[in-house]
Amino acid sequence: MTISHHPPEDLLADFAAGKLEEAHQLVVGVHVAGCARCSRFVRAIEQLAGAALEEIEPVPTAPDAFDRVMSRIENSPAARAAPPPASVTDHEVPPALRNYRIGKRRRVAPGLSMRPIELSGSGKARAFLLRSAPGSRMLEHTHTGTELTLVLEGSFSHEGGRFGPGDFDYGDDEVEHRPIVGDEGPCLCLVAMTGDLRMNGLLGRLIGPFVRL
Amino acid sequence: MIAAIRALDVPIRAEAGLTRRFEARRSIGTSKGPKAKVDWADLIGRVASHHDREAFKRLFEHFAPRIKGLMQKAGCSPDEAEEIAQTAMFAVWRKAGLFDPATAGAAAWIFTIARNLRIDLLRRRARTDRLEAVSELPDAPDPAEPADAVISRGQDAARIKSAIKQLSAEQIMVVRLSFIEERAHPEIASLLGIPLGTVKSRIRLAMNRLRDILDEDT
Repeated sequence: MTISHHPPEDLLADFAAGKLEEAHQLVVGVHVAGCARCSRFVRAIEQLAGAALEEIEPVPTAPDAFDRVMSRIENSPAARAAPPPASVTDHEVPPALRNYRIGKRRRVAPGLSMRPIELSGSGKARAFLLRSAPGSRMLEHTHTGTELTLVLEGSFSHEGGRFGPGDFDYGDDEVEHRPIVGDEGPCLCLVAMTGDLRMNGLLGRLIGPFVRL
Repeated sequence: MIAAIRALDVPIRAEAGLTRRFEARRSIGTSKGPKAKVDWADLIGRVASHHDREAFKRLFEHFAPRIKGLMQKAGCSPDEAEEIAQTAMFAVWRKAGLFDPATAGAAAWIFTIARNLRIDLLRRRARTDRLEAVSELPDAPDPAEPADAVISRGQDAARIKSAIKQLSAEQIMVVRLSFIEERAHPEIASLLGIPLGTVKSRIRLAMNRLRDILDEDT
């Protein structure tokens, strides 16, 4: 897998610092998990964070903090087995998403279907898996928020280049793209999206959630 | 032009002051320890291999107050920061066997534990209305470090270490203040006594430089 499109560095640094909202954390995390280059960058930021932790002004913990932690250690079973993956047989779901509850596939337009990913609701962005048929062409559009897209299978192309498995596409309200899905097979993407996506008209409402891909 | 001159002149003094503050903090921290330089990785190893409580106590006394300090700086309430500090140290005990000193420094490893707990806390807070029971400590893999992503980590570690050494003190400072202490850019500008534009460009330069160095010998 040759990855040629990466998240911007400040997004990676926010990811390493744990500052991203859940949907973004998820999409960037799946990219980083499969990208040695971005993984190195994230670990470099984590090293800087470790140095910062060493030098931060300490704030005294509660007087009984150590005792409470020790009693928690003594009273907790050695190690619980990890819960069984929710969807072992679900080949569409990458390993990094196995701990998430993923909704049923919903057909939204010809050649286009999505599965929502259930998040805690702590952030504003939504995350979903988006599957589009080979060769399909999206309507031209703009949107108000940011949109992070990670290709899991297949490919799409737009003015910014060709995006294959592992590639990361960052879109904000300044870009206007009209992606075309590659002919080699369906394109499966993990998408995080913020912004108001309601568009006017029936067609707009149908494709509203997928305004860019 | 004047701004450019100020950008070159003022920050050096301002940052020198800030660096002194960090130095002072460091000496406060180490003066409590029994030795000038403690091998935290070794202590984690002793927790892993012998369930060494004395080693754990020293780790706790050093790191728990720092985790609390960092979390408060990053916007947690004192109660939340206390909870994260305690749970993080509990996790240090439980996960000590997973720590690999060849791939990460002890402080960076402990940071990632605390960071993940904070992420968890924020999500739990958002979810409290809908769900009640949440495991006290997630056994799921850390979101940032899926097990299957481990690619020649030891080899990379040396490269990462040398890349960080090539950043300037100024660059490390803005990255720290912006991403790790999570201060807003205007606050960083007044803290360092530099224009807002300089803060932004310095962060960008630091990011690009780090990526370039890491890419160099790929």
